[in-house]
Amino acid sequence: MAVSPVVTELSRPATELRAAASPLRSLASGQASSNGTPKPVGALRKNMGGNPPSLDLAEQMNEDEKRKWVKGKKLGEGTYAVVFLGHLRDDPSTLVAIKKMKKVSKDYEEGMSHDAIREVKHLQELQHDNIIALRSVFSSKDQNLNLVLEFLPLGDLEILIKGDQQRKIPGVRYGAADIKAWMGMLTRAVWFCHENFVLHRDIKPNNLLIAANGELKLADFGLARGFADPYQYMTANVITRWYRPPELLFGAKHYSGAVDIWSVGTIFAEIVLRNAYLPGGTELEQVKLICEAIGTPTEDNWPGVTKLRDYAVPSTNPVRGKAYYERTFEILGPEGADLLMRTLTLNPNRRITAKEMLQHSYWLAQPQPTRKEDLPRKAGGEETMGADLKRRPGVVEEDRGSRIARKLDFGAG
Amino acid sequence: MATEDARYRSSSQYRVWSYSPARLQELRASTNALAKQQIAPHLPADPAPDFVTAEEELRLVQWATVELLRAGEFLGIPTEIRATAAIFFRRFYVTNSVMTYAPTELLKTSLFFACKAENHHMSLGELSSKLQGTTAEQILAGEFLLCQGMRFCFDVHHPFRALEGAILELRRQAPHEEERIRQAHVRTREILKFSPLMTDVYFHYTPSQIMMAALQMVDAGFVDMLIPGSGSGDDTATAAYTQMRDRIMGAIANCRTMLEEEPPSRLTEFWITPMKPLRRKLQKCRDPARLDLVAYQRSKREEALNKEKKDANIADDDVFGGGGSARDTKRRKVDAVEDPFGPAL
Repeated sequence: MAVSPVVTELSRPATELRAAASPLRSLASGQASSNGTPKPVGALRKNMGGNPPSLDLAEQMNEDEKRKWVKGKKLGEGTYAVVFLGHLRDDPSTLVAIKKMKKVSKDYEEGMSHDAIREVKHLQELQHDNIIALRSVFSSKDQNLNLVLEFLPLGDLEILIKGDQQRKIPGVRYGAADIKAWMGMLTRAVWFCHENFVLHRDIKPNNLLIAANGELKLADFGLARGFADPYQYMTANVITRWYRPPELLFGAKHYSGAVDIWSVGTIFAEIVLRNAYLPGGTELEQVKLICEAIGTPTEDNWPGVTKLRDYAVPSTNPVRGKAYYERTFEILGPEGADLLMRTLTLNPNRRITAKEMLQHSYWLAQPQPTRKEDLPRKAGGEETMGADLKRRPGVVEEDRGSRIARKLDFGAG
Repeated sequence: MATEDARYRSSSQYRVWSYSPARLQELRASTNALAKQQIAPHLPADPAPDFVTAEEELRLVQWATVELLRAGEFLGIPTEIRATAAIFFRRFYVTNSVMTYAPTELLKTSLFFACKAENHHMSLGELSSKLQGTTAEQILAGEFLLCQGMRFCFDVHHPFRALEGAILELRRQAPHEEERIRQAHVRTREILKFSPLMTDVYFHYTPSQIMMAALQMVDAGFVDMLIPGSGSGDDTATAAYTQMRDRIMGAIANCRTMLEEEPPSRLTEFWITPMKPLRRKLQKCRDPARLDLVAYQRSKREEALNKEKKDANIADDDVFGGGGSARDTKRRKVDAVEDPFGPAL
């Protein structure tokens, strides 16, 4: 066994050290930076009068960032995060949601969670009207991570579709033009992610938040990752079940933006039906629903599919044709039905891409999409944003047991 | 979204982590001055403490970067993730002093965190057991500090993919030059694995400029092939092109000058021995309060915990905790089953 090359510390010199951690260190005050770019701290001013202890440059910059925001009332609290309303100190009309991540001790054995790292990593890079904006990140004294996100007070798409059962609020009424507007915003968000080589991997209605101006925003990047290099394995255990594409249900280790497109397709159908399109209770059932509603993946319609690790199907149904989509999703018109069908193509290599979606004739057909300010909306979603953000980012429930069970089940049949 | 340039300008690497050389120097000088100011009261006054200078700090960071790269290789961490770790590490020491936080500790934390940020499975236990005399606690102790020092920017753009693109393009343009292209590929990659990480080029240049500069060191003719001159013609479009090309070539030349200060041969050739005096000097001026990072972090945590208790604001974990964490443990297990050997190298 080779020995690690990491150098060990030189033996510590036996100099006598003055009393360690002293409470009264000299203080250097930070300077506010205007645009998030670090400003060198030129003057190391001494501050008399026993103020905060002196800070490293890194800490000063963090303080500067923190000081830009004012934390207001609590919007919600969950196991993994507390969400506060907040605003810009210099401009109280700029509202934000401050999401303070908790360190759940059990999870913290490996340090900062993957979900938090992914969320921060990707939101730092993605600036787009239809992606939730991360305005700032800073740490609080207790070494917790605080994400300053734009405030999106009008709930999420799930509430628009189904209403809020808990608070007994019915869903809103909407029509073909509204659907087109929401789908357009969602498609642009997904296109932007893919254009920047990011897979979201958890697109679902309650991750689509609504801004005060009606704009739809893709949120929760806790399961996102960059496109893998061609040789690299990725986990198939992503995307909430109802929105999960067949290739992931079959355990594919290499996949592309097509996984997100499938989710977009299932949401498209859900908005029309006002009900989840493929609400499988287990992975087993999920595959069954796909086979019934869309068609059974076979070597004919998807060369190579039977080689996927967890491939197993309950029955062989033909793939639905355009007529079926036009009938079932009549409100979308023939162009809309065509687009939906292409997003729900079983073979991921033939599934439409986000860019192709944007070039589809659906957007040009009548009716024109509703302007975002005119979209139907719900009032008072503060608590909802609290609820949406306090969830653990990117948790996909369930375990592999069901997948093995399916194999056994279908294998027998 | 417009051009690739516009896209790069929206990246954190450009927005937060690009500086002019003068500005970078200024930041490092501030970091050094602040550290001295803080540490001085804790060291014997007579003789006056002999602090390392900002220039010496930089040399120590470079030296530790070599150690980081070697450790990363030893651990089987892929090239690109080693590079990410090195950049995390170097960013950290722009606003933190080596006198405050030991680079020999932070380099391990950087490797660990880079693996997490790049989806490379490497558990804390695995890492600490492979790194002699390092506990998991030590690696974790620096994590939060590292993140803060990186200003919570976890995405690094490297020149490696740019190189792959350039090679594809060269193969297309010069199919008869396969052997020359192959050699340029290998040798450019060798440079990219080392020189940019040892110098400040990531702070000043884009990934494609860094790639072009490295390729130019190996085979300047290929750079001319990829960025051809405008030929003859004196219309305005040609003039604009020529002007743009001159600017690009100027940036590449400057970047190249920096890279040439740290050629890959330095990795094996030079570092270790002449560093000893400087490392000894560092030992004598380190912040005594933060010599033991684990103890330091523990006391910070207790401080925070006490404060929290005072706030009497503890209940929710108990209310929601059970279900959530059980589910999560399950999820982690699932992930472990998915990739028992981690990704291919």
